[in-house]
Amino acid sequence: MKRLKSSFKNMVLVLTIISLVAAGLLAIINRVTQGPIDAITAENQALGIKAVLDLEPADSIICTTDTAENGTIIFHVCRADGTSAGTAVEAADGQGFGGEIKVLVGFAENGDIKGYQVMQHSETPGLGARANEWFRTATSANTKEVSPVSKLFFGNPDPAGSHNIIGMNPGKSNFTVSKDGGEVDAITASTITSRAFLRTVQNAYYAFMGSTAADAVSGATTQADEGDASTEVVNE
Amino acid sequence: MNMNNLKVFLNGLIKENPTFVLLLGMCPTLGTTSSAINGMSMGLATTFVLICSNVVIALLRNLIPDKVHIPAYIVVIASFVTAVQMIMQAYLPDLYKTLGLFIPLIVVNCIILGRAEAFAAKNGAVPSFFDGLGMGLGFTLALTLLGALRELLGTGTFFGFSVLPASTNMLVFVLAPGAFITLGFLIAIFNAINAKKG
Repeated sequence: MKRLKSSFKNMVLVLTIISLVAAGLLAIINRVTQGPIDAITAENQALGIKAVLDLEPADSIICTTDTAENGTIIFHVCRADGTSAGTAVEAADGQGFGGEIKVLVGFAENGDIKGYQVMQHSETPGLGARANEWFRTATSANTKEVSPVSKLFFGNPDPAGSHNIIGMNPGKSNFTVSKDGGEVDAITASTITSRAFLRTVQNAYYAFMGSTAADAVSGATTQADEGDASTEVVNE
Repeated sequence: MNMNNLKVFLNGLIKENPTFVLLLGMCPTLGTTSSAINGMSMGLATTFVLICSNVVIALLRNLIPDKVHIPAYIVVIASFVTAVQMIMQAYLPDLYKTLGLFIPLIVVNCIILGRAEAFAAKNGAVPSFFDGLGMGLGFTLALTLLGALRELLGTGTFFGFSVLPASTNMLVFVLAPGAFITLGFLIAIFNAINAKKG
């Protein structure tokens, strides 16, 4: 069979048909996969909330969510029997080394950090990507001097200092990296990531403090006035 | 599989290995190979898209006028990539977490458009299938090898299993320079072997 001639009619016709068929097939696949994708996203969020609030993965929880203007989401978490299980806040910062960092932080009532989980990031593997572990591990002691060549190949040794933020209260402590005069040691060779991470946690803290203040006010007026809060069952 | 198809298959796998010989698709090669499993998954995803696009383009090759063949190929390739992305996101979420960023890059991977132009546009569906399979597996092999070496030298693990003590980890191999160094050595070794064979 001879190849179709490149006449204007042929070109328009062929491209239109190919595009329509492709779009149709993709629409079908999108419809089929949308359900599972949503389910996975919701499940990840529920597991993350349970992890940062020290709940068992099998516990069933109900969340009321508030969304702030900057996209910060506050989850007021209740157990199935209605008792409060705490508050988790998902905040984001666009100034990471590789783009946006999204962190879910669990708070105790007084604002102490109960737990955190990095939900989304594009940081360097082996360096900034360690944020999910780094800020919950205890102090490491390593004071050995190393040469610049060794630093290039093996990385900086982890410094002695405190980089465990679990139990810290961003409102009561100097919540910045030690290089900026703060109390938290940055991830070795990843100061930008560390700054962005701490900023995100701090934003989450402010959102949390703002929400508890607002709760107190709305609780004093009427119980029905919930603002634009929406209730959803995250996990049965 | 007759002799001809086998030849096409082996040509892609070894003789014209897209990474080590043709030096095509360097961006995903360097970007995704920080671990063996990442390299392998990226290779397999690319293989899938390559086979599908090769077969479809071979079937459509006489229906597509010459002047619009590039846009037509791109639409076909981009559709397959989008499908892979959605399916992976829905059914292989863990893999999607590590590779999600790189999947859209398959669209502009020059191996795929290159094979569509150089092979599928001139051959039937069956040889095009084997060309896609050979090229795809050749790419997968290269990425897995590169990823395994970088993972071993950089983090002391092999497919996630710890094999070397942490004190031997060389951070540079996890980062971009390590990718270039490892790739350079692998290409040299591959060329030396090919040259010896004649």
